[in-house]
Amino acid sequence: MLKEFYGGLPKDRAKVETYEHGFEYLERILASGATLEYGEMSFAGLLHKYKFSKVPEEQMDEFINAHIAKRSNLCLYFGRAENSLFCFNLDNNHKTNNTVLIPEMTLAVELLREILTEAGCEPLVIASGRGYHLWCRLAGAMENERLYQFMVRSMAKALLGLHKKGLDHNKIKANFYPDPRARNVVSLRLFGSVHVKNKVFSRVLTRGGLLEEEESWKAFEEYLSGKTIGLEGFERAARLVGAPT
Amino acid sequence: MKTVAVDLDDTLNDFTQTLETAEFPYDSAYNVAPEKFDTYLEKVRRGESDPNELLSTEYSYFVHKIHAECYRQSQARPGAAEFMQWLRENRWRIVIVTHRDLRRANDVTRQWLRENGMPFDHLFLTLNKLKFCEAWNVRCLVDDHLISLGPQNEPDDVEVFYPIMSKHERLPIQRGRGFRNFDELKQWMPNYDC
Repeated sequence: MLKEFYGGLPKDRAKVETYEHGFEYLERILASGATLEYGEMSFAGLLHKYKFSKVPEEQMDEFINAHIAKRSNLCLYFGRAENSLFCFNLDNNHKTNNTVLIPEMTLAVELLREILTEAGCEPLVIASGRGYHLWCRLAGAMENERLYQFMVRSMAKALLGLHKKGLDHNKIKANFYPDPRARNVVSLRLFGSVHVKNKVFSRVLTRGGLLEEEESWKAFEEYLSGKTIGLEGFERAARLVGAPT
Repeated sequence: MKTVAVDLDDTLNDFTQTLETAEFPYDSAYNVAPEKFDTYLEKVRRGESDPNELLSTEYSYFVHKIHAECYRQSQARPGAAEFMQWLRENRWRIVIVTHRDLRRANDVTRQWLRENGMPFDHLFLTLNKLKFCEAWNVRCLVDDHLISLGPQNEPDDVEVFYPIMSKHERLPIQRGRGFRNFDELKQWMPNYDC
């Protein structure tokens, strides 16, 4: 399912979040032919993040298997020119205690879900740790600039709703994937991961609330099988939110 | 294999001097109003952090843009390239360790190292280089940063070498060995079990 859902994203590069580290580990991965662009060790603890490129298919399969087994988290990058997936990444924008669910986040995610659903692009909403990822899956690839313009306008409508309720939109950081201004820079964790800080599974958020792990997998499957958006549907949605066509 | 971790900013280059003295003409790409530009620039030059409770702000973006410009403009410290080449010729595994946000600074960092003739094997972002060295079993660290030279409770099986700078004279150094030039360091390093 993961391979199918994320099938439109490039498979030759990835970021891996793991507690595994040391030159023995690194050289094992590099022996597959992958290249380390850079690594990162968190300030607290031994969490490491590695950005690999030129990842061969077999190594990517290993990363996916480790992700499902919860030994590590796999994050994928978006295509440079076009994509069949796009995602809104809403984060709590506070320096501290930013895994706390704030009222601004609760409202923003529901407003955005409503705007997208009404436009015909129902998202799959997944808890990310500091907020939510709202994924939309298209039946075919669309230019990044068009996806970005659609996302910016949809988000602006959601933030306007926040403003009207007297809430501060600056408390939320919204990023859009793919972002034509930042190619090959940012990646997103796939569904099925466990957040490295709070150890919480990436649960699906429905209008009724957060689902448990097993129900989240079912919702993921249902989305994959029945809610992929046709390209004509996307064009219609783009017109509805006022994005350039 | 002998392994050394080497810091980049103010160890291999003159980042702080570049930040303090370089000219940054106003550009709308900084995403700040012209009337705020000079105030913000002075704050960045002084190393002021954002008192705002929020992570991503107009000022934090401005800091990122100015620092990115410094990464491009900074000059290699005298002898730094020769030192890195000496490490390579003597079969050291070289890990560049930096505070830079490599998500955004990976390309500019690699380009600068390449253009300045500084070979390396791996590039790592870490806010505590001593902890990194401990985790990766690296015994030699070259770093100017005070975190690496300060607290006693950090791992004590890492040899730290630092380029002597005025900031080191003002504060008590609790560990490490200061060097005046990279030739000095080349003489010392073979004597350490790295």
